[in-house]
Amino acid sequence: MGATEPLLIFHDLTKVYRVGDEEVHALAGVSLDIQEGEYLAVMGPSGSGKSTLMNILGCLDSPTGGRYRLKGREIARLSDDELASIRNKEIGFVFQTFNLLPRSDALHNVELPLIYAGMGPKERKERAAEALATVGLSDRMRHRPNELSGGQRQRVAIARALVNRPSIILADEPTGNLDTKTGNEILAAFEAIYEQGKTVIMVTHEEDVASHAHRVVRLRDGKVESDRAQEARRIEGIAAGSAIGRIREAGD
Amino acid sequence: MEFSESVRMALGALRANKLRSFLTLLGTIVGVTAVIAIISLIQGMNAYVSDKLLAQGANVFTVDKFGFILSDDDFRDALKRKDITLGDAEAIAGLSRSAGAVKAEVERGDDVRFGSTRLRRIPIKGVQGDYAEVDRTELAEGRHLTANDMARRRAVAVIGYEVWENLFDGRTANGHEIRIGDVKYLVVGVAEKKGSAFGQSQDNFVIVPLAAWQKAYGTRNSISISVTSIDQASFESAQEEARAILRARRGVAPGKPDDFGIVTAEMFMDLYRNFTSAAFVVLVGVAGISLVVGGIVIMNIMMVSVTERTREIGIRKALGAKRRDVLMQFLVEAATLSLTGGAIGVLLGIALALLVAAVSPLPAAVSWIAIVLGLGMSTGIGLLFGIYPAARAARLDPIVALRFE
Repeated sequence: MGATEPLLIFHDLTKVYRVGDEEVHALAGVSLDIQEGEYLAVMGPSGSGKSTLMNILGCLDSPTGGRYRLKGREIARLSDDELASIRNKEIGFVFQTFNLLPRSDALHNVELPLIYAGMGPKERKERAAEALATVGLSDRMRHRPNELSGGQRQRVAIARALVNRPSIILADEPTGNLDTKTGNEILAAFEAIYEQGKTVIMVTHEEDVASHAHRVVRLRDGKVESDRAQEARRIEGIAAGSAIGRIREAGD
Repeated sequence: MEFSESVRMALGALRANKLRSFLTLLGTIVGVTAVIAIISLIQGMNAYVSDKLLAQGANVFTVDKFGFILSDDDFRDALKRKDITLGDAEAIAGLSRSAGAVKAEVERGDDVRFGSTRLRRIPIKGVQGDYAEVDRTELAEGRHLTANDMARRRAVAVIGYEVWENLFDGRTANGHEIRIGDVKYLVVGVAEKKGSAFGQSQDNFVIVPLAAWQKAYGTRNSISISVTSIDQASFESAQEEARAILRARRGVAPGKPDDFGIVTAEMFMDLYRNFTSAAFVVLVGVAGISLVVGGIVIMNIMMVSVTERTREIGIRKALGAKRRDVLMQFLVEAATLSLTGGAIGVLLGIALALLVAAVSPLPAAVSWIAIVLGLGMSTGIGLLFGIYPAARAARLDPIVALRFE
């Protein structure tokens, strides 16, 4: 990786959907650089293009035009399987609806990225158990999602996002389905991940959630409306030895 | 992704839907059960038939007036032929170089009595020549009929094991007189037990010298001549020599067909094989149809499964599953599903074949080929009918799949 090049570069990114005879410009030329170790929130009203941006950023979708470089690699025109490989290695997803496999226990859910990375069963189980320990769920490894609370489910999802040591943690409304207290725990976990030096990109429509990021990018009508660094609000009142502490320790 | 992981996931998915999996598999189970049962029974019958037909030995042929008759017309024509005589048998024994043992035999049913016990319609065989050698008759007791018995037209008899059991009730028979029809015979031997073939006892007979038989029942009966060749290699030439001798004696003009028949066990085997191979094809074909129906059911349920698990597929793709990972997962699942059905079918098929063998005279032979065929066919069908649903799953767009409710 080049020392000067940002982790991620969007240059004049466009995405056009066809709906019947009409062309919809979900992204109308977005340019953005993201450095390694940033904690960034992407905001915008619905229809602003933030979901499309997130899909392209997460390598789930390809742009219609423009360039997307990740870790010095041009990936706007990669095949489906090449994108799958990048998602596996570089991106850790955290979704609003958790997206855990309902019939698998927490451990197996966390193992999934390692399975597709081709890791052997023994090493994989160890790594997954470690990742679950960092989010404080060592005693819940054999529980299925329906036996876990919302906050616990999202922590399993965070462990899954971290387990293959990706460059970017990409969170889509990660607190959307959680109450405020549980949501704060999850945000504390992201803070800890950020402090560990990882890049966190969070898509949200809540100002309160975005206030924890160090940079906020606002989209409107498929374009960047504003892009500002900010003083991040720290999470208060999370007991020591909780999610933050453990993730911090794991990073050392 | 490793194969074992795919199998593990497949088994997990099957366990999660036990009843549905079972119902899905019913077609495959029935198909494989039928295939295994049919193959086992037919192979069992093959082994049984060849064992029984060749019990006499592979190098025995029989000459008689009728030969191998397959139609009523042939039978009516054969009725007009000249009888085969004792002289014909003696000519073969005397003139054929390739002939080993020669037996002349004539048979009819008659009542047999000893004391107050009467057995009805027992086959009474009049024999001359090397009957013990040709028929491979062993003795449980006493002696065989001798050339002397035959030449002197002695009223002596060797009785079958079942006749002995029924008449003498476990006591020795040697030296006792029995009555066949109105004639008294001295029992000199008891044949060893042979068991049954095709549901008929092979131990229900009485053997007497042919001349004595003719004295009782007359000489106007066509006899049959059974001949062994001196070795396996001269089996064909022994038949040709017998044919030439008989044609000459019976004055058959060159170019005309034989007015007698030559029959070998191999002919019965051929007839039997023709019959069973036709039945085999039909039965396996029917079972095959049920396997194909089973395959379509599997395809249907895999389509349902792919739709139900669209979100799971989306999650897996988001986490880095490639197309072939997803394809493999669903193919393995379909194959595991149908292989499970195949395995159940194999067990049921074996059980069914053994059950039929237990309650009917049909024997069963379970062969590895049948089992491998059953498992292979079911797995193959799972793979074949699993391709389309699996390919659909693999092609799903992760964004659409993740949003699927």
